[in-house]
Amino acid sequence: MGKLWGKSFDKRKIEENIFKGLMVFSMLVVLGSLGFILVTVFAKGFKALSWEMLTQGPQGGYYIGKGGGILNAILGSLILGIGATFLAFLFSFPIAFYLNLYLKKKSRLAFLIRFSLDILWGVPSIVYGAFGFTLMLFWGIPASLFAGMLTIALLILPIMTRSIDEVLKMIPLELKEAALSLGSTRWEIATKVILRQASSGILTGVLMAFGRGISDAAAVLFTAGFTDSLPYSLFKPVATLPLSIFFQLGTPFPEVQARGYASALVLTVIVLVLSIVSRLLSKRFTRHIIK
Amino acid sequence: MQTKTHISARDLTVSYGEQQALNHISIDIPDKKITAIIGPSGCGKTTLLKSFNRLLDLQDGVRVAGQVLVDGENIYDPGVEKTHLRKRMGLLSQRPTVLPMSIYDNVVYGLRIHGVKDKKILDQAVERYLQEANLWSEVKDRLHSSATRLSIGQQQRLCLARGLAVEPEIILGDEPTSALDPVSAEQIEQRFLVLKNQYTIVLVTHILRQAKRLADYVIFLYLGNLIEHGPAEQVLNNPRYAKTQAYIEGKFIEEPTIHKEITLQKERSADYLTSTLLALDELQVDQVLKVVVDSEPTMNEISKAVELKCHKILEVKRIDLLHWEIIIQKQNVNFII
Ligand SMILES: Nc1ncnc2c1ncn2[C@@H]1O[C@H](COP(=O)(O)OP(=O)(O)OP(=O)(O)O)[C@@H](O)[C@H]1O
Ligand SMILES: [Mg+2]
Repeated sequence: MGKLWGKSFDKRKIEENIFKGLMVFSMLVVLGSLGFILVTVFAKGFKALSWEMLTQGPQGGYYIGKGGGILNAILGSLILGIGATFLAFLFSFPIAFYLNLYLKKKSRLAFLIRFSLDILWGVPSIVYGAFGFTLMLFWGIPASLFAGMLTIALLILPIMTRSIDEVLKMIPLELKEAALSLGSTRWEIATKVILRQASSGILTGVLMAFGRGISDAAAVLFTAGFTDSLPYSLFKPVATLPLSIFFQLGTPFPEVQARGYASALVLTVIVLVLSIVSRLLSKRFTRHIIK
Repeated sequence: MQTKTHISARDLTVSYGEQQALNHISIDIPDKKITAIIGPSGCGKTTLLKSFNRLLDLQDGVRVAGQVLVDGENIYDPGVEKTHLRKRMGLLSQRPTVLPMSIYDNVVYGLRIHGVKDKKILDQAVERYLQEANLWSEVKDRLHSSATRLSIGQQQRLCLARGLAVEPEIILGDEPTSALDPVSAEQIEQRFLVLKNQYTIVLVTHILRQAKRLADYVIFLYLGNLIEHGPAEQVLNNPRYAKTQAYIEGKFIEEPTIHKEITLQKERSADYLTSTLLALDELQVDQVLKVVVDSEPTMNEISKAVELKCHKILEVKRIDLLHWEIIIQKQNVNFII
């Protein structure tokens, strides 16, 4: 008896260990790639990074002059990213609320909306770029900050909506019931109760979408265009960081390539700072949350 | 008992998808009295309570048939404004759920959404309703800290305060003292006894002694069926039907074994009384007869007649829109005569 028991126990222990090993391995892969990317960008970009790069526009057409900086792209990306995030939020917030407060969990319409959003999420960003470009041709709009913003807003809309949606799905039914039985309308529940309960999750979703929007190159290639000047008009082309990285890395000159890595470093830092800020903020927001 | 009816259910049937949770329930809940809903776990108490303020609408696949009348008005009519309806009923849910905000904001939530802004009124309301719910002394120094940090029992009382602050007409309490120690529970019970002068109170409770202490009127549900309802005195001390008796004595509730079954249709079997008694004659003492009839008067008449003959009625149950069944246990009638 004792022997048999020992055997089966051994088998279970081996299973457990294999599984543990797999988990550790996957974790190492994830952490390793993150570390590798950060180290590469830092090692290659840090030398070329200078005060001048952060505070000046490029000198010599499209960064090839090796002088000046990427302020045009930094500002362009920030403005475009913030604008697009704002636009997308205007739509995704109501959609997510509609899905969770007005439609039932198993409603067909809700299923259809979620399904479409998931498909949109999977559409490659170059397709959004091409779509935006087609519309622009149709309406005769030139490549501009505005067109870029709209395209990026479309690109991040499904990401934002679905992540807010997932957060709202987690809201316990009892909380809705409690608020409803005090005589609230659904709108009051949305703004007074759920927004508080879900604020940190919503913030995370929004910032995630922003991060995705600010770092996409393909969608802005045709729609936002590129320029050496700082952004000054909604209806003029605007420079963006991903494209500036793309152009600089694409040149045959090592100095310019190094500046490309420096730009990549700047973009990485922006995204990193964002996620840290969102972590810190969400701690403040979770003060009253029901767990 | 001559009292006004406040809420009444008419043929209320509720199902969650395939699962039928309430089966043709018809009851009247008296105005400004305490009505206790009792019954074993899963028998549909919460469902019945939630059907009164249309909270069931939130869930998927819930079907409600029949009517619930509040002050004579069917709340399942299409034109009914649910927000107003719910404001008239304070619901204390089975698991206390505080809102994600401070204690103070929780209490005045209802007042605020209904337009009260005056800080003085709000302050007064907070003190008054927290006092009423017996929570004031424990939290008065931390009104602005998060309500989620309160203990479960405190949260339960906070929910009571929050519900009272909306000034409803009806209080629906789903085991409102389940998380409280005997002393706090007793205090809340005292509150309910005072509150019933102003409010109609419907309580779900698992504690029979609590039902005895509080209730004026008792509803006993079993597996979605209304088994017995009536004045608390009668149902709790002198129940009519076998299942109620078993539940109240803390015994296992058994389905009786049916030895014979007859179906009486009004037009065909004119003499249903005779048929029933004949069927009973064929049985031995303690065996059980099930009679299915298709009208309420018939059901009442048969019950009366059978009881006159000193047989025992174990249960009377509505099975669907058109059918009632009476479960009769044969007694040793000759002996009594
Ligand atoms: N959302 C739901 N989906 C499916 N079935 C449900 C749902 N809610 C309740 N039920 C079922 O309906 C029946 C009645 O449930 P209800 O919650 O009303 O019971 P209860 O009497 O309140 O029980 P308890 O005393 O344990 O709270 C149960 O069989 C339960 O499983
Ligand atoms: Mg319940």
